[in-house]
Parts: sequence; structure tokens; C-alpha cells
Amino acid sequence: MKKVSSLSQLGLNSDIHHALFRPIQEAAPPSPTKRRTKVSVVGTGNVGMAIAQTILTQNLVDDLALVDAKPDMLRGEMLDLQHAAAFLPHTRILASPDYSITAGSDICIITAGARQIPGETRLNLLHRNVALFKQIVPPVARHSPGALLLVVSNPVDVLTYIAWKLSGFPANRVIGSGTNLDSSRFRFLLADHLEVNAQDVQAYMVGEHGDSSVALWSSISVGGLPILSQLKGDEAAKEQEVLEKIRRAVVDSAYEVIRLKGYTSWAIGYSVASLARSLLRDQHRIHPVSLLAKGFYGIPDDREVFLSLPAQLGRGGVLGVANMQLTEEEAKRLRRSADTLWSLQYELELELV
Amino acid sequence: MKKVSSLSELGFADDIHRTLFRPLQQAAPPSPTKRNTKISVVGAGNVGMAIAQTILTQDLTDELALVDAKPDKLRGEMLDLQHAAAFLPRTRILASPDYAVTANSDICIITAGARQIPGETRLDLLQRNLALFKEIVPPLAKYSPGALLLVVSNPVDVLTYIAWKLSGFPPNRIIGSGTNLDSSRFRFLLADHLEVNAQDVQAYMVGEHGDSSVALWSSISVGGVPILSQLNNDKALIEQGVLEKIRKAVVESAYEVIRLKGYTSWAIGYSVASLARSLLRDQHRIHPVSLLAKGFYGIPDDREVFLSLPAQLGRSGILSVANIQLTEEEAGRLRRSAHTLWELQQKLDL
Repeated sequence: MKKVSSLSQLGLNSDIHHALFRPIQEAAPPSPTKRRTKVSVVGTGNVGMAIAQTILTQNLVDDLALVDAKPDMLRGEMLDLQHAAAFLPHTRILASPDYSITAGSDICIITAGARQIPGETRLNLLHRNVALFKQIVPPVARHSPGALLLVVSNPVDVLTYIAWKLSGFPANRVIGSGTNLDSSRFRFLLADHLEVNAQDVQAYMVGEHGDSSVALWSSISVGGLPILSQLKGDEAAKEQEVLEKIRRAVVDSAYEVIRLKGYTSWAIGYSVASLARSLLRDQHRIHPVSLLAKGFYGIPDDREVFLSLPAQLGRGGVLGVANMQLTEEEAKRLRRSADTLWSLQYELELELV
Repeated sequence: MKKVSSLSELGFADDIHRTLFRPLQQAAPPSPTKRNTKISVVGAGNVGMAIAQTILTQDLTDELALVDAKPDKLRGEMLDLQHAAAFLPRTRILASPDYAVTANSDICIITAGARQIPGETRLDLLQRNLALFKEIVPPLAKYSPGALLLVVSNPVDVLTYIAWKLSGFPPNRIIGSGTNLDSSRFRFLLADHLEVNAQDVQAYMVGEHGDSSVALWSSISVGGVPILSQLNNDKALIEQGVLEKIRKAVVESAYEVIRLKGYTSWAIGYSVASLARSLLRDQHRIHPVSLLAKGFYGIPDDREVFLSLPAQLGRSGILSVANIQLTEEEAGRLRRSAHTLWELQQKLDL
């Protein structure tokens, strides 16, 4: 079989493999039920590449496909990953501006989109990104009709809704990275203060990935201890104000990183790789991710809005939404978050039709 | 004990740790012989951050310190890594423009330096980076007198020599990333062509990390099979100088990535993390790295030149240099590579 490789183009003998290795007699081709896991990443900017590289380092897939509109940068990024072959397990890395490269993916991760400018809210990005999604989502869905779609581009909640509409996929297979990272930042701040490992802090931020996100203070648990009750013993009056300041600090921490280094990349890379692992390996782990929230927590059945709720993730996508106890305040804030997103989507509906 | 954290600045209860957790009675402080492993990375650019992030993902160290001259960028990078706390083991991440943050490191990795401009050879960079190393190396050595110094900045061989001179460290504790990555690229090309896993291809590039590098064709082994004998059966291959074309392709692949995406980062990140692991965990693994090569392979004893040779790495740095059989051709090229680097070092004003 004629080998096509960089070295054969330089003149190295294509048949050398036969001289080095011989198959056993009467060998059969691989069983058709065995297949390689494949993840595609659309957009090879800072976020897409941090996600791709983390997935690669954590050995999560057999095939990794990259897509971007800029062919030179795309090829450069592909080569840079391939050159690490001696240090990595045998993951096949493919790249093309053509979406056919994504065919047969288990997960398609969409990071393409305009970057948040310092001072710009996530919602201001929206208009720029809707047009882009109209080019991206239909071919992705066509080439991998059974895939899980994972949207990272901002504003993630509305763009996940748009990806759902444009793909025609069932709602359990369309997920936004949502507040998975906000929750990590939240847990980091709490863990740092409490001098514990962040992985021992259960704390969720839900709702919009953005200014109207909701911190679920009442269900925070550290090593089995509900810490809000510990706080009530302290300064009860100042409490609400302080908690709100902390929530805002979490929301602002993203803007702070953007202001300081121009963009965020590493944390979102780990966050999305964590989601990819839970999905691919059918982990049944709970992550706060952006999903079709109608009918949950008092959000009306006719409100087709995507926002983050704590959900169990597995190979089939969103397996279920956790039924947490919210306080009146938390439930109210969540519904307000839903309203904000709903109004925005409503304006967009007119564009999508 | 008064807690200083972002949350205490926002007014969050300071003593809450004591209400949540109580120590055992008669607990003693940790034994003084136990200590945290610490790696410092100087330079929070694309290369430094790819190295730092890979080290973090691979859970290689307890503490990671970052240093850069640009305080905003540095702080942004530190926060971006810290925000991944829920997804990572508990590595402490520190950052400061002040070298005091690197104190007591096990390994100090130097990536700071001007980036290679497309078309610029690695050697052209040298003058720009020498002045920078005079600011970086002495404080690093002062704050971590027992550390291993790992130089990545280009041109790496001469800069590793410079780091050796400026630090006053013994030569076994000064290592340049050298041809560790070139060898990975070489192994990738061969593995892709031979349809094997790159980890089953033993193939070294040695000498200068650059234009005069040497591919050790005669010692390539794939699953125990020396492939040069297969290649030498192909007369057309020898006539057309295919092997030299392949070596040049490896050297140029770095320039190609720079031309396409502006810089390289991921591959060097994995390469250096691999070196860090072999050093910290005392792996006794063989890596082609830039080291003081005088006295090896016919390089004169009075030529204090750094270039890559296959070396065994462990906790105390370079444990030994492998005694590979070179062909006349390979030995000649290696000495020529040494000569090129020696001439360049002579021009330096240390």
C-alpha cells in the first residue's frame, strides 16, 4: 500500500513498513463494532487550542480534528501539536478549513467567535457571533449527526440556544460550557479562604454565564459541612452584601484576566476538557452547564431558554438536571436571569426566521 | 491566625477555617525533612506558559512560580491558571516580577528572551538575549543555590553556556532543552512514515539545536530493528541525499510553525515538561539535551562548549552521557557543530 507521508515526499521508501513488520497469517480486519473516539474543535484561537491541548495531554481521545477559517494558523497549530508525538500517546491530529474533517465526531466543540473586548459585556458580542454560527453549525451537524454539541463561544447561553435551533439536534445533545468555569472560580476563592482543596468544595453558580449569574449559597458544602449555617453565627446583617460582592468578584474575575493578559485560555481549557471527559467516559458527574431550562425551577414551559443548571452528564449528553433546594431569593434571581436571556433571544428570533 | 485572601478583603469571615476543621490533639508540625517540590518558570510568554500549563496538567510539582517583567500579563496568566483549581490537583501557583518568588526551587526554567523572527536564524538572536541573561541568571542562582537550571531560550546552546558562566553552578546542574524537541520531531516524521508509535522509535538528533544539528541515523532503532540497514539497501535514496533532506526538514519544521502561527509553544511545552519529569522524579531516562560537551566524542578538553548529546537525567541533573557508536560521518558533523558553536562563543563579551 503506497504510503503518503512527509517523508515519502522527500524520497524515503514507501514500502519500508513491510520490511520492518510482518502481519500474522490469516489476520482479519478489525471488528466493525470497535471504533475510535473523536473530538472536533472549531476555532483554533487561544481558547480552542487550550481546550485541544488539554484534551490531548489528558489522553481523552483517539482522533482530534481542528477547524478554522485561517488555514496558515490552523496548519501551524496542527504541526505544533504533532511535533510533540514522542511525548504523547498516539492521538491522531487532523486539521482542515473544510468541515468534512469533523465527520463522525463524538463531540464537536465550538469556540469560534469574536473575542470579548475589555469593557464589552458578553451580550454585546452576540450579534457578531450569530452570523458565524449560521456558517458553522449546519455543516458540523450534517457531518456528525449523532454527536454531542458543546458550545463555548460567548455569550454562551444564547449561542447554545442558537446552536440547538440551527442543528436540529435533540436538546440533551446540545450543551453550553455555561457556568462550569464560574463555579470553578467560585470554588477556588472559597477553597483558598477556607484552606481546603477546591475539589472538596461543592458550590454551584447557575443561570446566565455573565452578569446575572446566581450563586447558590444555600447549597454550598465543604467536606459535608453546609457553610452558610456557619456564617449565620457571624455578622448576619452584613452577610447578604458580602455574598453579593463575592458573586460579583467571580463574574469580574474573567474580565480581570482579559484586562491583564488580553484573553482567558487555560482555565476554560481545563473546564471544557473536564466536560469532555464526563461526556465521553459516561461519568454521570454533575456539572453546571447551559441547557434547555424550560420547566425547571419555575421557568415556564413555553420559555425555550438555555441557561446553566447543575446537570448529570454522560455519553448521551445531559442525563438529568439536579433537583436542588433553592431559597426564595435564589429562585427569584434564577428566574430573573432566565428573563434577561429570554428577552435577548426574543429579539434574535426575528433575525433567525 | 488572620487569613489573607481575596475573600477576606471582601469581608468574608476570617476565622471560619477554625469552625469548620479542628486539628488532632498533640499534633506536631510537619517533619523538616519533608518539603514541597517547586518549579520556577522565568518568562510568561507563549513558551513559558505552555511549559507551565503542561507541568500543571501532568501534576509534576507542588509549587509553581512564574516570573516576568510585565506585571499585568504575569498576573493575568497566574489568575487564569488559578481559576482552574476545581479541575486540578492542589498546586500552589505564585507569580511576581521579583525573583524572590523563585526561592528554593528544585528546577528553574528560563524561557525569557526575544522571539525568533521569521527568517532570523537562532544565532542572530544571541546578542539580544545575552544582556537579558545577565539580569536573570544571577538572582535565580542566588535564590535557589541548589537548583537545576534548565535553559530554553534560543539560541539555546550558547545561552546554556552563558547561564553556566553567570550562575557559577557545577556543569551537571546546567541543562539546555537542546535537541530534545528536534528529536521528537524526527521521531514523529519517522513514526508517521513507518506507521508505528513515535515512542517506539529511538532516534536522536544531537549537536547544535539549529542548522548544524546532526541526525544519528546509524543508531536509529524501531522495535529493536536498526533501520539504517534497510535504508542503505536503497541506492536511489543514497544518491539523492534523502537522509540529509530529512534532517533539514526537521530543522525547518520549527521555522515552518513560526511562519504559520507566529511562534511555537505546544511541542516545546511537552518537551520541557518531559525533561522536568525525568529530573524531578529521578527517572534515569536518556534525553538529548544541551550540556558541557568537552571531552566527549572527540571534542577537545579545552573547548568549553555546550551542545546536545544523549544524556541520562535524574534528580542531580546530568548523571552521565551515553557512549553511542558514531560513524565517521556523524562524528565529523558533530565536531563541526561544536566548532560552529565555539566560534560564536568566542565573539561573546562576557
